[in-house]
Amino acid sequence: MTELLTEYLPILIFLMIAIGLAAVMVIASLIVGTQRPDSEKLSAYECGFEAFDDSRGQFDVRFYLVAILFIIFDLEVAFLFPWAISLGEVGAFGFWSMMVFLGVLTVGFIYEWNKGALEWE
Amino acid sequence: MNAVTSLPVMMPASAEIFLAIAGMVLLMIGVFRGESSLRFLSYATIATFAVAAILVVTQGGGGEAFYGLFVSEGFAQFAKILILIGSAFAVLLSRDYLVREQAGRFEFPILILFATLGMLMMVSANDLMSLYMSLELQSLSLYVMASIRRDTLKATEAGLKYFVLGALSSGMLLYGCSMIYGFAGTTSFTGLAAVFAAQTGVVPLGLVIGIVFLIAGLAFKVSAVPFHMWTPDVYEGAPTPVTALFAVAPKIAALALFVRAMMDPFADLIGSWQQVLVFVSIASMGLGALGALVQTNIKRLMAYSSIGHMGYLLVGIAAGNQAGVTGVMLYLATYIFMNVGTFAMILAMRRDGRLVEEIGDLAGLSKTHPMMALALMIFMFSMAGIPPLAGFFGKWYVFMAAVDAGLFGLAVIGILTSVIGAFYYLRIIKIMYFDEATQPLDDAVSQDLRVILYGSAVVTVLFVLFISPVYDAAKVAAISLVGA
Amino acid sequence: MSAIDPYILSGVIIVAQILAIVVPLLVAVAYLTYAERKVIGAIQLRKGPNVVGPFGLLQPFADGIKLLAKETILPAGANKLIFILAPMLTFILSLIAWAVIPFDDGMVLADINVGVLYLFAISSLGVYGVIMAGWASNSKYAFLGALRSAAQMVSYEVSLGFVIISVLLCVGSLNLSDIVMAQKTVWFAIPLFPMFVVFFISVLAETNRAPFDLPEGESELVAGYFVEYSSMSFALFFLGEYANMILMSAITAVLFLGGWLPPIDIAPLNWIPGPIWFFLKIAFVLFFFLWVRATMPRYRYDQLMRLGWKVFLPLSLFWVVLTAGVLVTFGLVPA
Repeated sequence: MTELLTEYLPILIFLMIAIGLAAVMVIASLIVGTQRPDSEKLSAYECGFEAFDDSRGQFDVRFYLVAILFIIFDLEVAFLFPWAISLGEVGAFGFWSMMVFLGVLTVGFIYEWNKGALEWE
Repeated sequence: MNAVTSLPVMMPASAEIFLAIAGMVLLMIGVFRGESSLRFLSYATIATFAVAAILVVTQGGGGEAFYGLFVSEGFAQFAKILILIGSAFAVLLSRDYLVREQAGRFEFPILILFATLGMLMMVSANDLMSLYMSLELQSLSLYVMASIRRDTLKATEAGLKYFVLGALSSGMLLYGCSMIYGFAGTTSFTGLAAVFAAQTGVVPLGLVIGIVFLIAGLAFKVSAVPFHMWTPDVYEGAPTPVTALFAVAPKIAALALFVRAMMDPFADLIGSWQQVLVFVSIASMGLGALGALVQTNIKRLMAYSSIGHMGYLLVGIAAGNQAGVTGVMLYLATYIFMNVGTFAMILAMRRDGRLVEEIGDLAGLSKTHPMMALALMIFMFSMAGIPPLAGFFGKWYVFMAAVDAGLFGLAVIGILTSVIGAFYYLRIIKIMYFDEATQPLDDAVSQDLRVILYGSAVVTVLFVLFISPVYDAAKVAAISLVGA
Repeated sequence: MSAIDPYILSGVIIVAQILAIVVPLLVAVAYLTYAERKVIGAIQLRKGPNVVGPFGLLQPFADGIKLLAKETILPAGANKLIFILAPMLTFILSLIAWAVIPFDDGMVLADINVGVLYLFAISSLGVYGVIMAGWASNSKYAFLGALRSAAQMVSYEVSLGFVIISVLLCVGSLNLSDIVMAQKTVWFAIPLFPMFVVFFISVLAETNRAPFDLPEGESELVAGYFVEYSSMSFALFFLGEYANMILMSAITAVLFLGGWLPPIDIAPLNWIPGPIWFFLKIAFVLFFFLWVRATMPRYRYDQLMRLGWKVFLPLSLFWVVLTAGVLVTFGLVPA
């Protein structure tokens, strides 16, 4: 167990160094650069106009749809990872189980394709 | 032989496998042929249910499948037949509605099919994991169905309420499952039963909490108090054929699952869960009876009525004996026909072509539609539990089982709430027979609804003639689960 | 000399190794921007930067110093903390992914047995930097750019996943060194050529590069999700994006081009050390990035989504099934 964890120690140190580096870069620029904010400079960019309204409004529901489809297929990928590397051990039954699973997902995929969930006009 | 690579036993699950394949095939047919295939898909779904029922009946004694995750025995088969009947009626009831309201979506029968698949698997779940998976398959289909008319505000509200509260209850159920797994070290029902049978001394508190969470999740699915709050809104907001489905098949499946969970893995912990169920049962019976008194919308009234019925059914589970399970199964068999008939009546309530749902709209029905009024009167008397109609026998056996188990108080409260409940059923009869109609309901009632309405009424009346074979079948089913 | 604690010693070694990765990486990023301008300049028959230093070689540093000295603008309507964290997150993620990349046999910082999963996880997290930046800016352009970018990244991540799985099927391990060693006889780019193409194009979309650079489509969204950024927080995004490009090239090299292995294991070629081969391959893939940018017009958004969902997803899924089927049928599954 500890051996497994020591393999991850360099990643932890790397993470800390990366955080430190990013922080140093931002802080250095705050120190070096001249900071002279004014209200025009700090307003949101909108092609020279005053901002008409807050940007946090409604947006197209399609983005949700993409996110939902992504979750379905990414979970599928997550299922495939362990299957792919242990295909030698699970044998023909393991292979066909996954084929059935992929078949069911393909039915769903054809359905959403035909229903136009993948269109983006 | 390596367990992972060998083919598992699948035959006891033949009906479910068939339903799953048929569902996907029908989905593909629907999506390629478009909305015009609705009619064909409805009939195909009913045919699928018929084939599935044949597969259930012909599989004999059944047995375990998929390494014990799935079990099919007399109890499961009995419940599955009831579920398939209930779902088939829901498809039949929906046809006329979907055509008339122009709400035809070919997904409708297919969603019923997948929900039914989930219900059949619930009945056969023999492991906490297959329990959860089947419950979710059923629930997700039903969430979509509740809001299938997504352009109406009420249906959207109903669907969203059902979904949010359903997700909450699933979460509780899952939490309960993880607690039980944590204390017992297994998710298999057989394994749990063995662990608890060997256990001596005090039941750990965490385990009791786990069971209570599990009961809470299941109580939500059967809409028992205090997890009933979604029921009236969803019943009222969902399209009527969907409500007709909600009122019957999912209730049967959830109750069968409830019975199995209590009687199989937790049978030896009856001391821990009996009081909880007694409380839930009394609260449901009481709230069902009192809540229904003030309703004016007939779908809301049916919601409270079903809460009350769930209370009576839970009496049978709380009894915790073979007689109780027999009573529950028999009650469910009568419950289907009373409910399907009543919903056929609600779907037939149209004025100027539009559906009406107020109880007051039934005024004077006896003059304009004497046969329909008679049928509805039969259902109301039956639900109130007046002999010799079907509803009486279910209540009778359930209360007898409670008396056998020494739960005299529960039985007495049950009878009292039945008397209170009879009041609002009788009120409908009074409105039909003694009030003057302001404007009569439409004459034209579709053939489907007529057949279902009168057929259910005949079954409800003549049930008394078939009481002994149904009772025997229910008893065989109960014995297969809990032993003699 | 027994005073040196072995833990401290190993810690110092790890830090030295990390710096040996980070410093050349940052220099490489700097010169990637230079190379980009030079290559595009050459393709468009221009000279590219040639004023600062000999051949303009000091141009990236001039740019860096300029950005450092600029004022950091925190828009008034922004969520300040998230606004600052977003570029830092992008930058940090593009660095720490390098921890599992093998440069030669045994020459890897953390030789974990789930290297591919780690890379997949880190690159999935990249979308958070984009979403955080777009949301925290409280500007319409930034918000729309972030939404587009997130949708685009997740769409192509799915086919990336499938492609990776078809490689894993041929390897039977999630360790990146094992994946390279499995290519001793033949690079996966040859048997899995269609997947190699899908992978490369998906990587272009994943890193928001031309022709899929819609999130920053300047003609409509000005600069997409980093329209409000300035100074070093902008530079961090910039560094992060280019470091991601190099990272993705490295992953392409590991998965499909045999990592540090020479093309053919014969005399003059295998004298060259592994890391050199690896860098050459990365440079080769990076050149494709620049070449594509210089020659391809930008995609429309609907075309982008159609390509991801309707072409790459079915194709890569089919290829996974095909690969698995062939391996099982002919008994070639790696044990």
